[in-house]
Amino acid sequence: MLFLQLLANGLQVGAIYALTAAGFSLIFGSTKIFHFAHGATFAIAAYLFHFALTGLGLHWTFAVAVSATSAVVFGVLLDRFMYAPIQRHEGSFFTVFVASFGIGIVVQNLLGSVFGRGFMSVPTPLSNSVEVIPGLYLSPLNGLAILCAIACFAALHFFLTRTFTGKGLRALSENPELVRTFGLSPRRLSTYAFALGSLLVVPGAIFTAAGTGINPAVGHHVMLISLAATIVGGIGSLRGAACAGLLIGVAENLAMWKLGTQWSEAITFAILFFFIIFKPSGFFGRATVS
Amino acid sequence: MTAYILNLLVLISVYAILSTTLNFIIGYAGIFSLAHAVFFGIGGYTAALVAMHVTPEFFVAVPVAMAAAAVTSLLLALPALRVRGEYFVAASLGLQVLAVTLFSEWKSFTGGLGGVIGIPAVEMFGYPVYKPWQFLLMSLICLTIIIVIIRTLVHTSFGRSLKAIRDSESAALASGKNITVIKTLSVVLSSALAAVAGALYAFYMSFINVESFMLDTSVLVMAMVIIGGTATILGPLLGAALLMLMPSALTYLTFLPQTEIGSIQQIVYGMAMVLLMIFRPGGIVSSHPGGSK
Amino acid sequence: MSVQLNTALETPKPVPGSGFTGSTDDQKVLLEISHLSKNFGGLQAISDVSLNLRAGIITTLVGPNGAGKTTLFNMITGHIPPTEGNVRWQGESVIAKAPWKIARAGIARTFQDLRLFTHMTVEENILTMMEPGSWLWQPGGKSRKAKRLDKVSRILERTGLTDKRHTRALDLAYAERKFLSLARIMATDSRLWLLDEPASGLDPNSYNLFLQLLREEVKEGITVCIIEHNLDIVVNISDRIAFLDQGKLLADGEPQTILNDPALAAIYFGER
Repeated sequence: MLFLQLLANGLQVGAIYALTAAGFSLIFGSTKIFHFAHGATFAIAAYLFHFALTGLGLHWTFAVAVSATSAVVFGVLLDRFMYAPIQRHEGSFFTVFVASFGIGIVVQNLLGSVFGRGFMSVPTPLSNSVEVIPGLYLSPLNGLAILCAIACFAALHFFLTRTFTGKGLRALSENPELVRTFGLSPRRLSTYAFALGSLLVVPGAIFTAAGTGINPAVGHHVMLISLAATIVGGIGSLRGAACAGLLIGVAENLAMWKLGTQWSEAITFAILFFFIIFKPSGFFGRATVS
Repeated sequence: MTAYILNLLVLISVYAILSTTLNFIIGYAGIFSLAHAVFFGIGGYTAALVAMHVTPEFFVAVPVAMAAAAVTSLLLALPALRVRGEYFVAASLGLQVLAVTLFSEWKSFTGGLGGVIGIPAVEMFGYPVYKPWQFLLMSLICLTIIIVIIRTLVHTSFGRSLKAIRDSESAALASGKNITVIKTLSVVLSSALAAVAGALYAFYMSFINVESFMLDTSVLVMAMVIIGGTATILGPLLGAALLMLMPSALTYLTFLPQTEIGSIQQIVYGMAMVLLMIFRPGGIVSSHPGGSK
Repeated sequence: MSVQLNTALETPKPVPGSGFTGSTDDQKVLLEISHLSKNFGGLQAISDVSLNLRAGIITTLVGPNGAGKTTLFNMITGHIPPTEGNVRWQGESVIAKAPWKIARAGIARTFQDLRLFTHMTVEENILTMMEPGSWLWQPGGKSRKAKRLDKVSRILERTGLTDKRHTRALDLAYAERKFLSLARIMATDSRLWLLDEPASGLDPNSYNLFLQLLREEVKEGITVCIIEHNLDIVVNISDRIAFLDQGKLLADGEPQTILNDPALAAIYFGER
């Protein structure tokens, strides 16, 4: 029974990881920018959701809107005002990564100063668990998180395969030169990539804020997982990042069962190491030619 | 007052060793490691154990610490250097996180969360070195030797190979360089020397625990390298000094809420990293504002 | 064959190409490419290409954009593994070996986008090409080092870069960068040079100097294969031409034959 419980929890957490990882993978795949501040986007979305709901007393639909807007705005602002200037000058992997990392530190500490460093969560009846079968406690939040993730992925798939911009984004990750010949500008598409990638963290951020709770380091944790998932899933594959995110969520929870909670983060990285050694291209990735 | 200054200087030298050795791989080889604190920690814990159970002799404890760090770095380098740079960052991050868990759980080696206490004073050829000014002298000598080693290497063919790899791996390959071996050597060297800092730290504090060896520390050292200036000798030293002095400097700005000093510090160097990358990627000391990367 | 001999008796053969006179078919084959193919997840970039590069002459690889010329180079130098086929260098198979091993075996290349060691000086760029070993220092001590520096000076003179010895590669002008790319390859002991559009965008003076340098090297025994788009250069420098289109080798032979073929011209100029 404990196994099923952990599995259920793992699927919920995994769904959140899958979405966030897909967001990071989308950005990195299309723009080749190592957006380490993706975790900061998650943290901002989560905290502003919490603040809008409890601090401002808004209705949850407005809170969701606030959260989503803040995530998208943050992502786009970073693209415009931080990554673009850097790429104009020199744009090496190093410079982009360091700037991204720096912003992540700034955001994490600002959030801590403004909202406090303790754990916070949004009180909601949805997180009350019900004993579905003896030993298995599920809350509506569990189910909602998973359904929401599925819906988001369906929408993402539709967007990437059916819309012009979506196809442009996919082209960008394969062949930036080609994009220009179709009349699209890589700069514009890059903004869309950041907007969409950042939007993808929002459901996860909201469910975390409502469920397990958040603290300023949550962005950091999520970032590490997204990174691990993107690599394990295969760079360039959204499907891979999502599957890997799910796998990591489940593995984390099962690890808690067998090894104790302190090893759960370590498990993620053990998985990452395993893949780097034996299958660097990940689940679905393309070959890594330097 | 002198005690305070001496203390600060010792810590600056320890961190200067860390930043100089990290710069060796980041600035000259283009290998981004977020795991430097791991080797700092391995150096510290190993030296402490040797000192407590075998002998506190510097020339025994330190080489053993270096060997331990070198072997561990192979664990990171061998798998992760065969593939693209982004993988190394991720792998180093992974190692750092794993290491913190290991440091916290492996009680026989690290004393778990409680850490290792009662590390005896270090001895040089049998002479105990415990007076602050003696310790400072010892640290400065170590720092100088390490700087000389790194500077020499950078000016030889090995240094040129590193820079070639940093600037264009494919061209370096096409010129006959076995880049995997070269990169691995540089990581092993950098980690072994970082362990010296760890040993010094352990002897100085007489007590170490996992808190000094977490991701925060790796990030702090990285900030020192970046802000001071990559691929220069002076840069990491300046960065170490600046960032170690910053907490004290900030306390002088009395209008800042004291409880937030830690956060503000981090915000300052986070913003410094961002602004530098936009306007002066080479760091403060760089000769060309465009950066020597 | 007899037609050629007659022409040789009647008029002195002009000196295009490397200055090589005679039939290129007679030259020794140093690099054998046999039935090389490359498939990138569905896209057949190279199909069944077999080509021989011969000693002491300049072979030019031509073809429209996207024909696969650079991919071919990448497979020879080990940067990309082939899907099928083999490459033999001086009799030994080098296919899918590590690029650094192939480089040490004597095959050197330049890149279309140069890939200079941007943050190193011109001197360092050239010096490092002479130091392939991964040891922490080079054997031979000071005397060998002095010899290497001498060699650097000579190369700098020949490529007109003496003034820029201590300039960083990224601060060089366009033509200077092209020459540095050539200088780097001159510093190695390689017997085969694969040059990817080495003279594109050069002004007439520079390009004459460039061709001159190439001819000197070929006289010393270097085998050169150039990817080139500029017909002027192709006409001027080739002893032999290989025509690649959509991954297939359409023709391989003397410049006269290839350049006068209307079908190939049509493909080259885009009228299919």
